[in-house]
Amino acid sequence: MDLIANLATGFAVALTPANLAFCFLGVLIGTLVGVLPGIAPITTIAILLPFTFTLPPASAMIMLSGIFYGAQYGGSTTAILVNLPGESSSIVTCLDGHQMAKQGRAGPALAIAAIASFFAGTIATIIIAVASVPLSALALKFTAAEYFSLMVLGLTGSIALAHGSAIKAVAMVLLGLLLGLVGIDVNTGLPRMTLGIGELGDGIGFVAIAIGLFGISELMVALSRPQDRTLLSVALSQLWPSRKELRDCVPPMLRGTAIGSILGVLPGGGAALSSFASYAVEKKTSRTPERFGRGAIEGVAGPEAANNAGAQTSFIPLLTLGIPGNAIMALMVGALMIQGIQPGPQVMTAQPQLFWGVIASMWLGNLMLVILNLPLVGLWVSLLRVPYRILFPAIALFCCIGTYSISNSQLDIGLMLIFALVGVFFVKVGAEPAPFILGFILGPLMEENFRRAMNLSRGDPVVFVERPISAALLFLTVLLLAVLVLPAVRAKREEVFQE
Amino acid sequence: MGRVSTADLAFGLFLVAVAAVALYLIADLPMGTAARMGPGYVPRALAVLIALIGAFIAARAFVTAGDAFPAIAWRPILLVGAAVGLFGLLLPRLGLAATAFIVVLVAGLAATDMRWKELILIAVGLSVFAVLLFVKALGLPMPIWPVP
Repeated sequence: MDLIANLATGFAVALTPANLAFCFLGVLIGTLVGVLPGIAPITTIAILLPFTFTLPPASAMIMLSGIFYGAQYGGSTTAILVNLPGESSSIVTCLDGHQMAKQGRAGPALAIAAIASFFAGTIATIIIAVASVPLSALALKFTAAEYFSLMVLGLTGSIALAHGSAIKAVAMVLLGLLLGLVGIDVNTGLPRMTLGIGELGDGIGFVAIAIGLFGISELMVALSRPQDRTLLSVALSQLWPSRKELRDCVPPMLRGTAIGSILGVLPGGGAALSSFASYAVEKKTSRTPERFGRGAIEGVAGPEAANNAGAQTSFIPLLTLGIPGNAIMALMVGALMIQGIQPGPQVMTAQPQLFWGVIASMWLGNLMLVILNLPLVGLWVSLLRVPYRILFPAIALFCCIGTYSISNSQLDIGLMLIFALVGVFFVKVGAEPAPFILGFILGPLMEENFRRAMNLSRGDPVVFVERPISAALLFLTVLLLAVLVLPAVRAKREEVFQE
Repeated sequence: MGRVSTADLAFGLFLVAVAAVALYLIADLPMGTAARMGPGYVPRALAVLIALIGAFIAARAFVTAGDAFPAIAWRPILLVGAAVGLFGLLLPRLGLAATAFIVVLVAGLAATDMRWKELILIAVGLSVFAVLLFVKALGLPMPIWPVP
């Protein structure tokens, strides 16, 4: 069977001592980031990007993805013990997880979170391995028109799922697309919007933008808020949930995994949305919905399974189509491109070691996370006592070193500073930077495919609806937009994003 | 309705301004035709769209209720911003050891619960750590000591 052979290839790559070490380093940093409130996984990945460029591509991807799903595990620890989401997808885990901790059942809450995450991570890894082959085959049939339509769908998805006003998200996407076009035009060799600065010929440095928007700007905003962490002093003597609790958690875990796996693949989707959806489903289907919010273990198991599955399956569009579905995946695309790899369906055939190695490492990483999160939970809790005033100067310094080291360029530091200030402005006016970074990454690709498709059709835009796959993708886009403007859905969306 | 949504107004005007600058910068680039697009085609289309949306958001700010532009805590923005700027200016001349110390010190002042002794210790520690990790271990090509 091909699947077995592919996974064998993958494990051969993932099990080398170096890659095991990078996987471990990734999930370790991910857990750390997940545990500490105020440091988002996207910030960490942005900061660490430059340091991965000296690594082989597979090791770099293994480590960066480890940070991403590792943060989902770590986030639940803080959610349960401190009632703060260490990571945005852990918001719903606070609801019942912290209540359980208050009732002295912090151990079982942490254990079920880790078990649910591991279970979902395992299933999601299998889904990725199974789904990626046919999807890549399909994607190889794509022409410029399908690629363009797919990217339109992806960007619309990021608009639909952005917090706050949809029209602002549209503006952010367009702004990202426009800034992505800064540099030499590949078709004519003419510089565009470079202000005559030679260095800008290659475009605005992706790392400078990402670290400015998600690193420095985050620090500037976080420092203006009071940093309050009230630790629950808990005895973690009893760690394991009872047999009955475990049995009660099986259906939520299964449902959560299914919800997360589906929502993770959707453009713009991912971990945070999955956990909200799962919590809503568990509360609706429960025979005792009144227990939710008062320490129902199902309210921890479902969302934790969902957010981990969602985090994992959001790699599917990236790995098979080369299209990032969310901002973190956009950073991954950036990492690959700087490594000289153009993400896309050809990666699977051209770089099977990289492709299957990353997938295999996901399962290994999930296994490591159970070990990191259950026996070592005490260690993580003690980390929570490190005050922010000690952490943030280090983050600021690492942001600078990382950005500078890309090309030893003072211009990059200047750009990072500008985008940090712009990022603060975005936060203040309620415009989310995630759709912006997605547009920025997709800008050049979209223009290229748009121009090529229009060129082949001699300027007739009908080409986008003539081809069935492209038409289907655009139909989905229209559907998504229609849903977005329906008042009922809008109200629901606002409700979901309320806390 | 009363109050103008100054947050929306600011964002709308920002978009219009960015679009105007972009349109100015690409004014000389050929448009081409839909079949053979020139380098100016897509950027111009995007800039016009951004300007329209910006104008809409700005106009809507007067009609629909929305948030006012929130107060800005300047201290962290200025200090962290200054630390970043100093890094860019100083690193090629002073080397990483001294630059890291200064950057951490300046950024660290942004904390409301800052303590001098602790901050200086952190600055020294991080400076040593950065040199060991980034230059010695990872081999980044950065000067450690001041460049004459």
